[in-house]
Amino acid sequence: MDTTKKEKILSIIILICMGIMAFIALFPILSLLLASFRSSSVLMSEGMTLIFDPAELNLNNYEFIFSEEGMGYWRWYLNSLIISAGVIVFSLFFSSMVGYALALYEFKGRNIIFLLVLVILMIPFEILMLPLYQMMVSGQIIDTYLSVMLPLLVAPVVVFFFRQYCLGLPKELMDSARIDGCSEYGIFFKVMAPLMLPSFAAMAIFQGLISWNNFLWPLVVLRSNDMFTLPVGLATLLTPYGSNYDLLFTGSVLAILPIIILFIFFQRYFISGLTMGGVKG
Amino acid sequence: MNSSLSTPSQQIPPEKKGNKFTSFFNSKKVAPYVFVVPFILSFLILYLYPFVYAIIMSFQQVLPGQTEFIGLQNYERLMNPTFYRAVFNTTIYVICTVIILVVVPLLLAVLLNSRLTKLKILFRTAFFMPALTSVIVAGVIFNMIFSESDSAAANQVLAWIGLDSVDWQYNAVTGMFLMVALASWRWIGVNIMYFLAALQNISDDLYEAADIDGANAFQKFYYVTLPALKPIVIFVSTITIINGFRMFEESFVFWETSSPGNIGLTVVGYIYQAGIQQNDMGFGAAIGVFLMIIILVVSLIQLKFFGAFKKDE
Amino acid sequence: MKRFYLLLFSSAAAFTLSACGGSEETEGDGGDLEEEVVVGEEEDDATDLTFWTFEGLHTALFEEAAESWNEENPDDPITLTAEVYPFDQMHNNLLLSLQSGSGAPDLADIEISQFANYLEGDIQLEDMNDQVEPVIDDMVEERLDIYAEDGNYYGIPSHVGLTVMFYNEEIMDEAGVDIDSIETWDDYIEAGEQVVSETDATMTTVEGDEHFTFWPLISQRGSDYFDEDGNVILDNDVNVETLQFIYDLVHEHEIAEITPGGNHHSEDYYGFMNDGGAASLMMPIWYMGPFVDHMEDLAGKMEIRPLPVWEEGGNRTAGMGGTGTVVTNQSEDPELAKEFLAHAKLSQEGNINLWRIMGFDPPRHDVWEMDEMREENEYYDYFHDDLFDYLLEIQDEVEDINITPDIPDMQNEIHTNVMHNVLRGETHTPEEALEEAAETIRQGGAAQ
Repeated sequence: MDTTKKEKILSIIILICMGIMAFIALFPILSLLLASFRSSSVLMSEGMTLIFDPAELNLNNYEFIFSEEGMGYWRWYLNSLIISAGVIVFSLFFSSMVGYALALYEFKGRNIIFLLVLVILMIPFEILMLPLYQMMVSGQIIDTYLSVMLPLLVAPVVVFFFRQYCLGLPKELMDSARIDGCSEYGIFFKVMAPLMLPSFAAMAIFQGLISWNNFLWPLVVLRSNDMFTLPVGLATLLTPYGSNYDLLFTGSVLAILPIIILFIFFQRYFISGLTMGGVKG
Repeated sequence: MNSSLSTPSQQIPPEKKGNKFTSFFNSKKVAPYVFVVPFILSFLILYLYPFVYAIIMSFQQVLPGQTEFIGLQNYERLMNPTFYRAVFNTTIYVICTVIILVVVPLLLAVLLNSRLTKLKILFRTAFFMPALTSVIVAGVIFNMIFSESDSAAANQVLAWIGLDSVDWQYNAVTGMFLMVALASWRWIGVNIMYFLAALQNISDDLYEAADIDGANAFQKFYYVTLPALKPIVIFVSTITIINGFRMFEESFVFWETSSPGNIGLTVVGYIYQAGIQQNDMGFGAAIGVFLMIIILVVSLIQLKFFGAFKKDE
Repeated sequence: MKRFYLLLFSSAAAFTLSACGGSEETEGDGGDLEEEVVVGEEEDDATDLTFWTFEGLHTALFEEAAESWNEENPDDPITLTAEVYPFDQMHNNLLLSLQSGSGAPDLADIEISQFANYLEGDIQLEDMNDQVEPVIDDMVEERLDIYAEDGNYYGIPSHVGLTVMFYNEEIMDEAGVDIDSIETWDDYIEAGEQVVSETDATMTTVEGDEHFTFWPLISQRGSDYFDEDGNVILDNDVNVETLQFIYDLVHEHEIAEITPGGNHHSEDYYGFMNDGGAASLMMPIWYMGPFVDHMEDLAGKMEIRPLPVWEEGGNRTAGMGGTGTVVTNQSEDPELAKEFLAHAKLSQEGNINLWRIMGFDPPRHDVWEMDEMREENEYYDYFHDDLFDYLLEIQDEVEDINITPDIPDMQNEIHTNVMHNVLRGETHTPEEALEEAAETIRQGGAAQ
């Protein structure tokens, strides 16, 4: 009886602390949401204040973005969707194999490759930009989806994560699969990859985020307004000669949506990871 | 699906006897190389070539049509107060973010994984939401919240507590606070995910065993949870250190490329400023090479310290 | 599991489909978000010209120029595509394109403090000598020299950039100050003290992380960052004195505030000024644009006057800021591009448009007295009819400014260290700050 009471109190304390943390985490987003219902001129003269008049909230910004004039925004949206989907699929595919091999196979050069992954992680992307840019130019893929995606396909973080994750997988399963006559690739695709599902989910979210919000590189390789990704496009709304804060905020609110969907969708796999009792330990 | 996992043998078709090539290709020796080949290839094309190019550039003065080797001049020019300032800012930033972005998400993840916590999904989603905003958008929000005017949200909060307004973006301490706060705000949720994914792989047996031994909550955390989380702690701290050294955007959104008194200048910001804005690519490349050496040394020390290279770790 | 692969597959399909469509899908429907203007599409045999700028207003000028070009040259029509990018993005992309020899537009705007970057190495811009030389006697030559190297003219200026004082007459009246009585900076300080004591406003604002307070003032006094030979003179006596003067405005006389947002192009400042936060502002005449666009409440209240002088007979203005339009060597038809640029910005018609559309004081002085300049426009509506009389009065009182390859470095020092450490941080005296910055540039400047 005593412990349950203690636990109840503890659980309330946790709830309160978590509530405060969650509020801090959500506050800027709520301000963003609020700002998207206010007009630019008000925002400009008053800034992002805590106090506002409910009567001045309106849907004008949303009406604008869904009207004919907002078409450009949806074009950016589509570009971002396509690029992110491509990045997620290809980088997860390649990286999971590498991480898997590094963790579960003994082979010559294993440590060197792992070291290589870390070194790639450490190269500041900014110093590669000029040579990479020149490569894209000579390959004539400047201003295409491919040019934005390519550098993200070599994803050392993702490889690193898969390696760390695979270290915790039971090697015995591989051996028993071998005894059953399964090929090495069969083992990966049929036995081990399903076990890695929670890490696939986590990395899909991770790469989705990186790609969806990628800024500096698309800024350099994308030229035409029609090819802009969302962050690049939204940044063009931010000029000293005509900041469209209202549009920026509305556009940003809508920009969060797909990534929320991705998150909610894959969150279930974390939970299913929980239920895979048989594979632990 | 779960049942199939526990009895994989039933699912897997018997091996087809192929020719020599297939069996070579299928051998345990060769397979890992096949797995890493796409990665290695794309690395060679997309990273190694530009990287070597960048190193060569660091010994050159790069101007259109007039590129020439100038020996170590670019490296000699590194020794200047602006560069020291950039390294100093970046180091402080790395230290702050590593502490915050490992400890806080770890604790929150453990709480989120605990049966004592109610409304788990709600909290998990709330913590993750900031990661969904792009840094450009986050920067605009933070800029407005922490603007210098008295009516800005942060200053209003200070006013309620009875404090004076602060010029957030104009002095070194608050400037650093803004960058760290922005990064922490955006990344805590992601790191919570990493830890949660790992926590869910810890067997309940271990906790039950600890219960039988009479361990209290803290002991269970220290002796069971932490060791099990070690690979993921290594991962998260390494990533945070490296991303910290490579930080640019968190500063860019507050001050673009020139901050008052260089309070927001980071090493990569300096690369951008010198290499791209001031058309001095050779010098920019030299800063980049130097930065890479710093990162390499720091991460190797850190990985060594954690013992990440030991077999079966 | 199945679901997961399904997702992978469908996204892969989406990717392949669209990757093939790629760059051909350009028939975007132009809306307000499309920062792109295309003129002359109906011409079949027209030559395509692209133009990059960081200032949306400039497209309006080029749009009109392209239309009139096509009317006047039916045999040689053009299709102009004008693209607007944010400041940094445009300059960086242009630099990268020129460095790598591909991807640059035919025409581009380059801002004055960035221009030096484009004059290093083998210059990747076309010289405009053939177009400039016939009209050079009608131009304010100093503005052409800024964008010239070794006697070749690369950039075509947009304005003279006469610096003036904008007064908010409502506040000045409330304080009981007659703005025409302000002739010297001492008068100005006196008036400022009256404004501060009689009204809620401050007299003026000084830029804490930009150069539009410091540079015009030293230029007005005949000084500069560099001398004619490119030597750093940033820490000379006049400059130290001038920076001390700015410091005193803020901290000694307390008639000036550091600009909200740090500079006069920030949203914070627009709001502050629009609400009557300051009684006056020193900026070049092209700053009429931001007034008209962002400070609607001040329409009809603002008066333009020459700058107060430092001593009797001294200059009453300084030429500041600027954007040079260039033709790059990647243009497929550079001759046509050059002629079109001359049509847009060197002709009389073009110069009149610079005033009419953008509110710029045009670099061709032979149009200044023309009747077309007096036709009604939104700037006269906002700033009163007499504004051009003052400009005519002071047009010859402009000193040269000296542009060197170190200008981008220098501006960076001024923006990040000098102004901040002296005005806001108060960690350095003007002399210390200027000496430190001068030393940095002398040692590590861009050109070795």
